[in-house]
Amino acid sequence: MKTVINEQERRNFASEVESKLHDKLAKCYQCGKCSAGCPVNFEMDYTPNQIIKMTELGMADRVLNSKTIWLCVSCNTCSTRCPKGFEVAGIMDVLREVAAKRGIESKTEKEVQTFHEVFLDNVKSNGRIFELELVGKYKLKTKHLFRDMFLAPKMIEKGKLKMHSDKVSNINQIAKIFKDFE
Amino acid sequence: MARIGVFVCWCGSNIAGTVDVKRVAEEAAKIPGVVEAVDYKYMCSDPGQNTLRKMIKDKNLTGVVLAACSPHMHENTFRKAAVKEGLNPYFIEIANIREQVSWVHEDKEKATAKAIDLLKMMVEKVKRNKPIEDVRVPLTKKALVVGGGISGIQAALDIANGGVEVILVEKEPSIGGKMIQLDETFPTLDCSSCIMTPKMVEVYQHPNIKLYTYSELEDVSGYIGNFNVKIKKKARSIVEKDCTGCGDCWNACPMHKNVKSEFNVNLSERTAIYVPFPQAVPLIPVIDRSVCLHYKKGGKCQKCYDACGPKCIDFDLQDEIIEEKVGAIVAATGYDLMENSLYGEYGYGQFKDVISGLQFERLLSASGPTEGVVKRPSDGKTPETIVFIQCVGSRDPEKGVPYCSKVCCMYTAKHAKLFAHKVHGSQSYVFYIDIRATSKGYEEFVRSTMENDGAIYLRGRVSKIYEDNGKLIVKGADTLSGNQVEIAADMVVLATGVIPKKGSDKIAQMLGISYDKYGFYTESHPKLRPAESSTAGIYLAGMAQGPRDIPESVVSGSAAASKILGLFSKSEYEVEGTIASVNKTTCVGCFYCKRVCAYSAISKEEVKDRNGNVLKVVANVNSGLCAGCGACVNACFSKSIDLKGYLDEQIFAEIKSLAV
Repeated sequence: MKTVINEQERRNFASEVESKLHDKLAKCYQCGKCSAGCPVNFEMDYTPNQIIKMTELGMADRVLNSKTIWLCVSCNTCSTRCPKGFEVAGIMDVLREVAAKRGIESKTEKEVQTFHEVFLDNVKSNGRIFELELVGKYKLKTKHLFRDMFLAPKMIEKGKLKMHSDKVSNINQIAKIFKDFE
Repeated sequence: MARIGVFVCWCGSNIAGTVDVKRVAEEAAKIPGVVEAVDYKYMCSDPGQNTLRKMIKDKNLTGVVLAACSPHMHENTFRKAAVKEGLNPYFIEIANIREQVSWVHEDKEKATAKAIDLLKMMVEKVKRNKPIEDVRVPLTKKALVVGGGISGIQAALDIANGGVEVILVEKEPSIGGKMIQLDETFPTLDCSSCIMTPKMVEVYQHPNIKLYTYSELEDVSGYIGNFNVKIKKKARSIVEKDCTGCGDCWNACPMHKNVKSEFNVNLSERTAIYVPFPQAVPLIPVIDRSVCLHYKKGGKCQKCYDACGPKCIDFDLQDEIIEEKVGAIVAATGYDLMENSLYGEYGYGQFKDVISGLQFERLLSASGPTEGVVKRPSDGKTPETIVFIQCVGSRDPEKGVPYCSKVCCMYTAKHAKLFAHKVHGSQSYVFYIDIRATSKGYEEFVRSTMENDGAIYLRGRVSKIYEDNGKLIVKGADTLSGNQVEIAADMVVLATGVIPKKGSDKIAQMLGISYDKYGFYTESHPKLRPAESSTAGIYLAGMAQGPRDIPESVVSGSAAASKILGLFSKSEYEVEGTIASVNKTTCVGCFYCKRVCAYSAISKEEVKDRNGNVLKVVANVNSGLCAGCGACVNACFSKSIDLKGYLDEQIFAEIKSLAV
């Protein structure tokens, strides 16, 4: 694909990502070790190292609309193995947030994006996951009301699905973390 | 009566695994003339050599045959052992039963039979060996260095500091070579002229160095220890001893803006009478007669002469031929850059702001045309975005050369770094195929250009550059992300490939040394004799051998110097005695041998009677030059040439030994 590099836009995008990531894109060797070990690489449209290079080159449109940023499961295999200590999983998180901020909706991974939003909302208000609220909101948003319903009794039985929220004691600090990132 | 000792080496299992060494020894013992035949696990080991020495002494041997590895490996070892027991070293013969038998055959039976055959041949040969004495050649303890770049300067200084006289010949009006044109040098960013000029001045002041600038090698004859060289000292049109380098002459020259400066790679102009750069050594101008009005307009203009205080300008000076006798020569002829115009798609020559790496070097340099301020050639504006393209000409077997030019990765990283330092907020893009940064501190240097100076590296080549709206649009690829990219640049710098200096092939032919298909001088051995050329007494240094950076050039200059100092540390030079000799009685003087000799070792010699009348002209072998290849022996129609150690009689005996 052809890309015309606009120096100003490139710099804006790259520095936005870098400041949120607290890391330098130029650190990347482009050795591909992240992509080599990524367990969901086979479903991605761009490999993790390509995402890093394209971010450096300011290809915001393509990066923010990619499947890759939503398919990343944040398993951190990439970051753990990176010879330069680059935050590969971190950049995916940053890009998801930048996409959300710009109001970009993923065309292919809608449900992942919805889950991502619901999940973070949940953490924001509780300081940890309140499963019942998470599941409820997700189902309402995606309208898959009865999918996986049969798992509920078992989860209740094992105490995995609590009936009331168990907020962390100092919720203000959680709010601060979210505010810092924005 | 011949008394031959035979030793069959096992070489561990290398030979013994495939050849029945015991049987070879038993068979050898049966050959007439063989006094004793033994086998031994490692003949090259100390105890192995002692066995050899002991038998020579105890059995009073007249010759020795070793069935062992290639003579390339240990012939010298065994010869030295033999000499210690008073045997002529040429009475040691080796039957190569490792490389020629055990390593290339599997059938033990057949391999053993072949080993026995080879051994028999050598026994027959050694019976007919005659003692050979090594040839001793006198040495003229004076060296010539061709080329006054960093490697030539280093060689000259090292030799001179070793107490030997040196003649340094440089084609240009000043020494300094390419290095003096550079701004700062990777990876430590020390200023090139700051580290170079002290060396240049040292050369000029050194009591042991005679410097000929604006001079060329005209002719070379002779051989190791005894070269006769002719140097053409081109007419500078200046009486050098009177010149003070004050500059009145070039300031008076009316040819201000007409001639492109070679030193600034066409980015500025010079006068007709000029010094290439302010720190030139020697600081003596030269008149470029091809452009000077005095020569073009029949002597009308003599403004420089009028301005000159000591009146040291002499328009009528002629080229001078200087003859010198030297014992060793260093060829350090350096390099050129490829023609960028080969790549029409990059628009070099068409777009003023597409320049070469060496030109960018001049733009960065404080002594350059812009005094170190980066300004683009077209309109003098400071560029904000520069695209650097690596491998222009290198690694391109179709249009350029297939090899890697080695220095471009590093100097491009340096360019991007210096550009970032000089123009704040600027951006550089570097297109590359691979990054080769393998010496000390190099990888870290390139990474710091990327990580600290913000240069963006794109893995891919550029396909086209065109002008649009005052910008250079660079169309390239980033293969890592799989994108075609287009960058609007203010300037483009091409990392042009390195090729041998123009005319270096002529110098090679003059010196009688070999060069590869690109024109780079070839080493006597690429790994083990990297400082020596294919011809004895001629050494190599610097980029003339192939692409290399400054530290490597300095190392090679020093290596050549140390070889020469080593050579000169003896009173005479010893050459192996296995050389050709002519039977002057039968020689008919057809000189077919002269035509086939690759070493120019054969000359004509007159045979005279007692009254001084020439009876006939015969061939004469120069023992200093002869390499003992035997080409002349084969070429001789009258069978008048023999190669010592490989006489016809010996070869025939070898063959006969097989005819059973």
